[in-house]
Order: sequence, then structure tokens, then C-alpha cells
Amino acid sequence: MTMDNVTFVTDEQGVEHAIIDRGNGEYTSMQKTTYEAQQAQAEHFTPIVTSDE
Amino acid sequence: MANPTTNFGWVMPTSTSLVTNLPADFNTFGQGVDTSMAQLKGGSTGQVLSKTSATDMAFTWVTPTDQTPLTTKGDLFTFTTVDARLAVGNNGETLVADSSTSTGLRYQATTAAGKNAIINGGMDVWQRGTSGTTRGYNSADRYYLNNPSVAGRTYSRQASDLTGFQYFMRMQRTAGSTLTDGFNVSYSLESADSYRFAGQTVTLSWYMRKGATYSGAALRGGLSYGTGTDQNIDNTYTGATSIVSFSQTPTTSWVRYSITGTVSSSATEMAFTLVWDPSGTAGATDYLDLTGFQLEIGSVATQFMRTGGNIQGETSACQRYYVRLGANSGAVAGAYSTYGNGYSTSTTDASIVIPLPTTMRVAPTVCEFSNVAIQDFNTAVIAVSNVTINSAFVSPTAAVVAATTSGATAFRGCKLSNNNNTAGYV
Repeated sequence: MTMDNVTFVTDEQGVEHAIIDRGNGEYTSMQKTTYEAQQAQAEHFTPIVTSDE
Repeated sequence: MANPTTNFGWVMPTSTSLVTNLPADFNTFGQGVDTSMAQLKGGSTGQVLSKTSATDMAFTWVTPTDQTPLTTKGDLFTFTTVDARLAVGNNGETLVADSSTSTGLRYQATTAAGKNAIINGGMDVWQRGTSGTTRGYNSADRYYLNNPSVAGRTYSRQASDLTGFQYFMRMQRTAGSTLTDGFNVSYSLESADSYRFAGQTVTLSWYMRKGATYSGAALRGGLSYGTGTDQNIDNTYTGATSIVSFSQTPTTSWVRYSITGTVSSSATEMAFTLVWDPSGTAGATDYLDLTGFQLEIGSVATQFMRTGGNIQGETSACQRYYVRLGANSGAVAGAYSTYGNGYSTSTTDASIVIPLPTTMRVAPTVCEFSNVAIQDFNTAVIAVSNVTINSAFVSPTAAVVAATTSGATAFRGCKLSNNNNTAGYV
């Protein structure tokens, strides 16, 4: 399955991986569950800057 | 004896004075002595006489200032506006100059090697490449980029013109960019490196300067702690609390900044963040340069030291979190540099064991790769399309990966290498 620049593959053990094409022949792979957790985190992007003022 | 006396002019009876006049004569003499000695009256224990003018007998009693203030073993004789005592510090502490104290001196702990908790504080290690834009760990090792608007912003490695440093990080808005949302750089210490700061006074210091067309308000940020374990300040950070904040507009010259605060005894993780809120349309030199980050125990920023001591130590410290073998690793990669050995599990997959140069914090979960291939003894180089972590066998000391190929011979031994390309890596 392809989503934008991400391809999902299943390895010989049946584990799903996300293969991210970063361009210029460079790729990043991680388990699909890890990828989805990162995506969820990015959607809730809020830089934390605590202040004592 | 002269009469009156030579120095004080006291009048005494003479040989011709009548006996009946002696009481009055002695009254005169005695009063003369009394008047002359009046200045010597008063004072208290320990005081000494001090001249108040050049006039004869112009004295006053004062407490001497040249007496030692020392009272206890190890005391130092120092000076404020008067002589002062500085009590000896605790065992193992060292004496440092500190202009903010009354004596200009302070004892403080831990100025030895390893004092700096910031790995890659000197921006020496850039395993992922020398320029990054996207949110995440994508530039100098250990620094997290929080750049919500990818376009028009770059974090890059620059050759340093600051004495003592080879590189610095440049956060820059591309000329003409009108994006004005804040973007930042942060650093999160893992818990194992944070516990030693709990309950301590700490100082974060760094070198910084701005470009000539730097836009926006003062740079803001600060040092924070949390009560979670190994979290990232730019994501979830349990119990996030400020230790000390920072707001400063940099100058176009390198200046060393520092902030000092006390860490809660309940802190289990620490982090710092610097946020730049640009404004208007970016000019050609709308940037911020950073290097020399140091976090240490004590209230004074001491001389910068790399946490790893040298480039080897610093690289190893970074590889606890991310290892790149091949291009951009800091070492020259060859066209067929080899990273690990294994065997083909089928005609389309190979299982490869890659020994890691440093024991990692945890077993790796993410794999980055480019231009790699497998080779066995009878087959030409076979390009690899995917490399994925085999979570069943990976460990903090060895990455076990599955390499997806095509046309391999099942169960034949092979190695993972660059695919005739020095830009290859895994």
C-alpha cells in the first residue's frame, strides 16, 4: 500500500513496516505502529516552552 | 626639667613658690595634665588609638581593621570592602572566581571532566547530514528541530569562526520567506543523565550570535525538568516545569549566555529549548548561530568542555542514540563499504547482522538506508530495495535487519555493503 511517499510492506515474520522515501535515494523504515504513533504525535504539535515568569 | 614642660607646657610650682600656694599650683598642673590626656579616654576592648588629624593629641579609639577574620580550619582571608573571611567549601569542591559574590569568589562542585551533560555541545557530530529542515532529529546529533513550517527554514552546519570550535549550527530563514511562526531547537537529556542534577543548582551556557538581518523579538526559551522517563520536551513531557527561563536579543558578535536555576529534587529528566519568533520578510542574513552548549552543576558557567572529552568520545556518546555507518558517519565510505554479514533467507530476502560500534540506549527501532546491496560469493551485487529492523532479534549491540532483494540464492551467505556508491549508508 502506498500513501504519499510512504510504502507499507510486510516482512517474512508478518510484521508490517513503513518505508518512507525521503528523496535522493534515501529511505527510513520503521514498524507501522511506530510510524503511526509518530504521525499522531506530529498532528498534536505544540512546542513546550515552560516559563517561570 | 623645664617649667613649663617642654612638650605639653604643663606649669609646675617653682622653687620660690610659697608653701601655701602649693595646692593651687598642683591644681593648675593637674588640670593641665588632665586636659592634655582627655583624648585618650573611652574606647573598648580590642580597640586601638587612631589619629584624627595632624594636631597634637588628636586621637580616637577605633576597631583595628587589620586583624585576621579567620576563625575556622580552611578559611581564606579575602576582601570585600573590608577584610573578610571565606569559609572552606565542601569536600571535593573547587574555588572559582564569581563577580556576583561579595568576595568575588565561590566554592562550587564538579568542575572536573564530564561536567558537561550536553552531548555534542560543540556541534561536532552531524551523522544525519550537514543540513536539516524537517521536524525531528535531522541535523546535529542530539538536537531536536521543531520546525512546524518546513519551507523556508534550514538548520545547517557551518565552519566556525569562534575560537575553540570547529562548527556551529545556523538556524536560518530563507531570504524572502514570510513565514513567521516560531521554530526552535531543543535538547532532551535521557533520565540516566538527569538524575545527578536533582536538587542541584545548575547553569546552562552557550554561545550565540545573530545575522545582520535577524528578525523578530528576543529569543526565548529556558531550562526545564520533567518527572517522566526519557521523554522529548517537544512531545509529551510529564510534569514539565521551568527551572529558569531566558529572553534575550542576540547581537551580531559571538556572546556567551548563561542561565542558572535550581532543579527540583523530584526531577527525573531535563531539557532546554530555544525558540525564535521571526517577523516580516526574511533578509539574506536572517539567521541565528549557536554552539558551545554546556549544562553543569554550579552557579557559574565554567570553561566549555566536550562531554566526551574528544571527537572519539563525543561520537561514541552520540552513537548511544543514533548510528550511521557509511556516508556522513564522520568517516570516509568506500564504494563497497561493508556493514554486516548474514545469509539469504529466500530469493528476495536476506537477514544481516550489523555489529554496532557502541551499546545503544535501547535496541534500534528505526533504520535509515541509501544505496546498499547484498553480495555473496557467486552472485554479482544485488541492489536492496528495503532494509527493515528485525525486532525479534535486534539488540542494543547488534542490529539485525532484513534486506529485500531480488534474484538472490536462498540460504547462501552474503554481506550488506554499499551498492558501488560512496554515498551509501545504513
